[in-house]
Amino acid sequence: MEHRRVVLAASLGLIFSSVPLAAHHSFEAEYDFNRTVKVSGIVTKVEWMNPHARVYVDVTDEKGKVTNWNFELGPINILLKNGWRKNSLKAGDQVTVEGFLSKVGEGLGNARKITFPDGRRVLGGSSADNPQ
Amino acid sequence: MKLRFWTLLPAASAIGCFLALSWVPISAQDGSKDGKKKVPYPGAVRPTKAPPPGPPGPVPHMADGKPDFSGIWNAQRQLPGDPEPDMLPWAAALTKQRTENYSADDPEARCVPGGVPRATPYHVQMVSTPTLLLFLYEGNIHTFRQVFLDRKEHLKITEPLWYGDSIGHWEGDTLVVDSVGFNDKFWFDMAGHPHTTQLHIIERYHRRDLGNLDVEVTILDPGTYSKPWVQHRLATLETGFDIVEYVCNENNQDPGRLAGNTDR
Repeated sequence: MEHRRVVLAASLGLIFSSVPLAAHHSFEAEYDFNRTVKVSGIVTKVEWMNPHARVYVDVTDEKGKVTNWNFELGPINILLKNGWRKNSLKAGDQVTVEGFLSKVGEGLGNARKITFPDGRRVLGGSSADNPQ
Repeated sequence: MKLRFWTLLPAASAIGCFLALSWVPISAQDGSKDGKKKVPYPGAVRPTKAPPPGPPGPVPHMADGKPDFSGIWNAQRQLPGDPEPDMLPWAAALTKQRTENYSADDPEARCVPGGVPRATPYHVQMVSTPTLLLFLYEGNIHTFRQVFLDRKEHLKITEPLWYGDSIGHWEGDTLVVDSVGFNDKFWFDMAGHPHTTQLHIIERYHRRDLGNLDVEVTILDPGTYSKPWVQHRLATLETGFDIVEYVCNENNQDPGRLAGNTDR
């Protein structure tokens, strides 16, 4: 039940959330609960839009190849109500993103946890935490 | 936009901590020990959590003496205990197919209206007047629904509508909303329960007290359900937030990526 532990750990980390995250689509239709991802890199763009905010992160692998990851975040109405703002995360920030992989394509995921190098969390978890 | 929620952030965060601790995904709980995924909610109404508690206090009333539903409401949550609907075979098969495919074809994911009685996952503002009740949905999608209290007959609907035609009347302190004229495009829930254009919905709204709004929904659709489907729901008053913008189709990248159940 490794996956279950991951989920519990992520939920415990969501202490900042005051409004539950919800999605306009089924989580499992798009993402795979059994395929988790953890990458570190530099934020290239944040899309502060609905139905989800998105963060794009340049991740360099061991061979020097750079992949620009596209991570889905919560909807901005909920992020806003949980105290986050458009500039809470900016291009140039270094982050580690943990989440779930998309069922289609590479470099796509749902971000459940984003942390700065000093350990601070930024922007809420994913809609996986609150199925509609 | 008012930022009332900043002043409530400490309390809200405490509540959030509780919610976060309790909101372990049900899907994760459905994972079997052998690592093989189960299909969640097969043919069933998707389970939901109770809404956060509403504040205590008396029911406010409009100038005409009728209960005033105005306010920001947390999303309606279906209460446990309601029986499953009795579906005609085609509807049962379609619901099963939709559910087993993880609701990949859900119209709501395409940023179209959720129709009635689908509960929005976000806050709803109700605006009561003696002649018109408005539902202002934060999402999904950012739109509104009208209930006319000054009309006793339905419009002649020539083109079926996402929200149908809704008229209301009072039975004591309960507002009874009668709606017809729906299209058959929306799903009642993420499980994918369908309907036809014969759909007729009766909602009964009763504000129990300041913070709690009981909603009984009766779904009548002989083209889909062999018996009336009665749902009991609860909405609670939200005093910490206003509704905010939610523009669903500004950057909806999801539809092309909704692969559904790829394990089949």
